Amino acid sequence: MAKKIKAIVKLELPAGKATPANPVGPALGAQGINIMQFCKEYNERTAAMAGDVIPAEITVFDDRTFTFILKTPPTAFLLKKAAGVEKGAATPNKAKVGQINRAQLREIAERKMKDLNATTIEAAEKIVLGAARSMGITLAD
Amino acid sequence: MPAYWLELTVTAAPEAVEAISELMSRYVQGGVAIEEPYRLLDDGQAPEIIPDAPVTVRVYVPENEDGSEARTRIEEGLWHLRQIEVGDIGELTVRRIAEEDWATSWKEFYHPLHLGRRVVIRPSWREYTPAPDEVVVELDPGMAFGTGLHPTTRNCVLLLEEAITPGASVLDVGTGSGILAIAALKLGAAHALGLDVSSVAVETARENAAINGVGDRFEARLATLEGAGEEPFTPLPSNLNILGAEIGTFDLVLANIIARVIAQLAPALVRATCPGGALIASGIIHERRALAVDALTAAGLADIREVEEGDWITLIGRRPTNPMEGQ
Repeated sequence: MAKKIKAIVKLELPAGKATPANPVGPALGAQGINIMQFCKEYNERTAAMAGDVIPAEITVFDDRTFTFILKTPPTAFLLKKAAGVEKGAATPNKAKVGQINRAQLREIAERKMKDLNATTIEAAEKIVLGAARSMGITLAD
Repeated sequence: MPAYWLELTVTAAPEAVEAISELMSRYVQGGVAIEEPYRLLDDGQAPEIIPDAPVTVRVYVPENEDGSEARTRIEEGLWHLRQIEVGDIGELTVRRIAEEDWATSWKEFYHPLHLGRRVVIRPSWREYTPAPDEVVVELDPGMAFGTGLHPTTRNCVLLLEEAITPGASVLDVGTGSGILAIAALKLGAAHALGLDVSSVAVETARENAAINGVGDRFEARLATLEGAGEEPFTPLPSNLNILGAEIGTFDLVLANIIARVIAQLAPALVRATCPGGALIASGIIHERRALAVDALTAAGLADIREVEEGDWITLIGRRPTNPMEGQ
């Protein structure tokens, strides 16, 4: 295990449905790692979360072996789910596509806390709100 | 399937990445790739994400009308995101890449690999006819470290060939894919015990031993030796066994780990080597040589020699038959 890290790539993929096609193939293929094993392991570990987007952070070592950890779903994905919308606004500076309430904001911030660069829950909420704004999702009073 | 794909890349401030990823994911199949810049700590072993540094977001669209449409939509979306000032967002760059069969194309990287003088690592999809004195280890790369591509593995095999005696017992601490233990068994060892702190490694090593027809002479355990619990290098699983003197002694002990762990385990490694037996310690980056050598010497290892390749050092020493000899 005298390994040295060669690359780190995060892939946001549909849980249980990774395939060797895009973006897995080109993103990991150049590293020469066993793509089929990655897809199989990812799909096994995320099978129970079908329907969610689950990011995998893949670390590639200098003998072309790899490991990966699963991350919390992207904030944008959780926001869309909470607001009950399929996608963010095409023109978030003008159009608003949905709303979330304070309790939903807190829930998303708590869930994302460990993956966000935030030390307090308030700071995490601020980041989540920033993402909401960029998608045309507003906070209900 | 299109013959070509367009790789669409945008670099942006970390706070804008969620929005960009969401935008891009609307127009692509499969998912989004994100690369955060990092620096390496601890001799390249541990990464640290550099906060506030620009992050790269990538998606792939087919080179056809649908792809052009997606590209236009993404460019428009990025323009809108820039208007609400979520953080700096760079221009979209486009690169054309040829369609490949990604499920199999990674295999092109791997060919039969000669390690030491006699050991050949053969991926399962390659043919190889060994010379009379060669031993072939069939091994496919995957998640457990040890493909033979790393200098430390190569040097371990070189010294292993020299130190192995027919019928020897072998302990392989940090067995990974099992590559060294399996090579030892193929070179004439009677049995081998492989330890690893990763359950993926333990399972992989077991499978690889079975594939190579040495499964009945190889035992893999989710375990390490005493000393590893102090400031563990990686988080250790809760069901990990920490083994002490009860495992007895072995004619040959292998530890291809890293300098810090070798130093921590040094007393246990030397104790597990039978008097007159050899210990091979590897994964030692040049700057940490003294850490490993001093700890092994203090633990009683004698006649320490080394081989070097690139940044990496592999040590071999002997446990004295007379305990006073190593003092």
